[in-house]
Amino acid sequence: MTSGGGIGAIVITSSTPLWYATRATGLVAMVLLTASMALGLLSSVRFQRPAWPGFVTLGLHRNLSLLALGFTAVHVLTTVLDGFVSIPLQDAFIPFISSYRPIWVGLGAIALDLMLALIITSLLRTRIGLRGWRAVHWTAYLCWPVAVLHGLGTGTDTPVRWVLVLTGCCVLAVTALTIWRLALAWPDRPVASTAGVVLIALTLIAGGAWLRAGPLGPHWSARSGTRTTPPAGVARPHRTSP
Amino acid sequence: MRTDPDGGTRHQPQAQEPELRVNPIACDARGLCIELLPELISADPWGYPIIRPGPVPLQLQQLARRAVAACPTLALMLISPPG
Amino acid sequence: MHGYGPASAGRPAAPEPGELRLIVRDQPLSLAEHIDQYGPLPAARLGPKALIEDVESSGLTGRGGGAFPAGRKMRAVAEAGTRDTAKGSAAKGSVIVANGSESEPASSKDSVLLSRAPHLVLDGIAACASAVGATRAYLCAGHGDPAQVHFLTEAVAERSRAALDKVRVEVVTVARGYLSGQENALISALNGNAPLPTFVPPRPAERGAHRRPTLVLNVETLAHIALIARFGSHWFAAAGTPGAPGSALVTVTGAVERPGVREIPLGSALSDVLQHCGVSQPAQAVLTGGYFGTWLPLPAALAVPVSHEGMRAAGAALGPGVLAVLPEAACGLAETARIASFLAAESAGQCGPCRNGLPALADALNWIAFGRPGPDIIGRVQQLADLVTGRGACHLPDGAAGLVRSALSVFAADLQAHLRAGPCARAGGPPVLPVPARGSR
Repeated sequence: MTSGGGIGAIVITSSTPLWYATRATGLVAMVLLTASMALGLLSSVRFQRPAWPGFVTLGLHRNLSLLALGFTAVHVLTTVLDGFVSIPLQDAFIPFISSYRPIWVGLGAIALDLMLALIITSLLRTRIGLRGWRAVHWTAYLCWPVAVLHGLGTGTDTPVRWVLVLTGCCVLAVTALTIWRLALAWPDRPVASTAGVVLIALTLIAGGAWLRAGPLGPHWSARSGTRTTPPAGVARPHRTSP
Repeated sequence: MRTDPDGGTRHQPQAQEPELRVNPIACDARGLCIELLPELISADPWGYPIIRPGPVPLQLQQLARRAVAACPTLALMLISPPG
Repeated sequence: MHGYGPASAGRPAAPEPGELRLIVRDQPLSLAEHIDQYGPLPAARLGPKALIEDVESSGLTGRGGGAFPAGRKMRAVAEAGTRDTAKGSAAKGSVIVANGSESEPASSKDSVLLSRAPHLVLDGIAACASAVGATRAYLCAGHGDPAQVHFLTEAVAERSRAALDKVRVEVVTVARGYLSGQENALISALNGNAPLPTFVPPRPAERGAHRRPTLVLNVETLAHIALIARFGSHWFAAAGTPGAPGSALVTVTGAVERPGVREIPLGSALSDVLQHCGVSQPAQAVLTGGYFGTWLPLPAALAVPVSHEGMRAAGAALGPGVLAVLPEAACGLAETARIASFLAAESAGQCGPCRNGLPALADALNWIAFGRPGPDIIGRVQQLADLVTGRGACHLPDGAAGLVRSALSVFAADLQAHLRAGPCARAGGPPVLPVPARGSR
């Protein structure tokens, strides 16, 4: 604690629990979103066992999606309330207008917007009809990777090993299930399914390369547009990222 | 209420009691309705629903609505006959 | 309603009860000859109320197979159009679809009617168009025959040169396939979608072609309406019976000397109709209604009246008026197996129970006809027939099930013989009923 202005000190000390909450809820939301995605894929491949009926898959998928939205809401709230970096509420919905890591926070906004569209259309499915619902639901394939990228790019915990492992497991699960889905969607078109698998593999390789060069590389904070000027006369607390 | 010979009770037929119907073109044999409402819906040898004819009893109507909402292709419908 | 009385100057007499009404000779009637024969279509009586009431009181039922009261259909479409007017959306009007697709392979009455008396059908379209406020009209010709399409287009052109019709009729070819002529499939095709049945709500009378109230009527029904518009409902009901008024076209095929299309007063005994066509060899059964119809045993069914209610009372259905006579020399089970295979191949494939059940049913029947199945095959056939009945979006599975059930009943003796000793010698003979080759779609 420094001898700086009282309000500045309060802002700095009270931002730390909020900052932890942002990171924690973000990670939990990612895990929940991954679980929801996985259950959705499981449903589309008609996974059904005597001890695991179809309605369980879809019921869990629905509830975990709502839970993921809940955690995302808290994640947004703690980010906005966290005064260390100014991220007003609209930055969470309108992509790329943020002054803090605009691209990566912007991806979060996109993921949140898509999540809202997915959930609202699902709640109103009987009213909007199957075709409209299905058209929107395809964007789930966009929402999840965008959310993961947002986490990797904005998250200050990305270089932490267990966070990397967790993210890796999420990516592995969704990738494996998506490949299974592809194989079943076009059983009589091996060229198309192989092309799909190759595309997924290339995406993963590109993603891995970006990860090494970007968030795991040097000075990511600066390169991604982190504004680090604290209020005058106040020392910055130590943070784990460069 | 009348008593059946086998001991069950039966409502007098009401004009408002809805019926379950499936759109056979939209139905894709996902089987959720069969899981959720086995009292009224059973599976044929190919997984498609066979709906017990007649109105849905009052005590099962909430479950029937749940089954209708759960159908992935919105093929199951609860039709209220013109009352 | 009011009769038209004897002929007067410029107006021919109405056909007598015994006379032919629809097809008066073997060559096509040109427009001039048609007007000579029947007189012009009276414009005065074609207000919506007058014609619809006439058709309703005449008791005319649809001749496409459904036997639905034609007047009631017209009224439903007219009322739907009126509701649209109230809502302010009447600008587009309703649609008339004349169904001449005749996708039932054993039936030829519609194509014969269209080729001999096209102007009766076109008169019917014009009469209905003004009765229900239609702004578009389609004449659906089947069989993919370019010559017939050309012929009908010429007939329409002839009428437009004479400025006869307010609504120009578009002649449309119907896709091949047993289901293409089904009411919803036809409308679906006119809307630019696949020619396959749709799930019923909304009904065509409410919202069919181009989202307008649509009146779909068989071409023969329209021909009858054209005559009712001229000669009235009393005249129409002078032929036939009180329960089955009017005349109808039937197609007689199979083991008869003179197969073909006949116009008969409804309610005639089957024996009369068959005698007219000349039964030269002993016959064991008759398939009524078409390929999704039912078998009736002969000679027991000779007394059955040829009408919808008469056939229904005998456990059969008149349908589009097909009467296919099976000789003793053929095997009813083999014929049924062939028809069942045809029906299974014609499934739209949209509904699981039909897509799975009809091939299984056909397989079982083929086993019975040509193989050595165990005695439990009968139970399996019954179970499959029950499984498919009423579980499709159209009546194809119901028809197939009904056909198979009637075959097991009418050919029960053959069934036992097949189960005991294998296929009979007759089963190896040439087919009697014309089943089109697979791949018609």
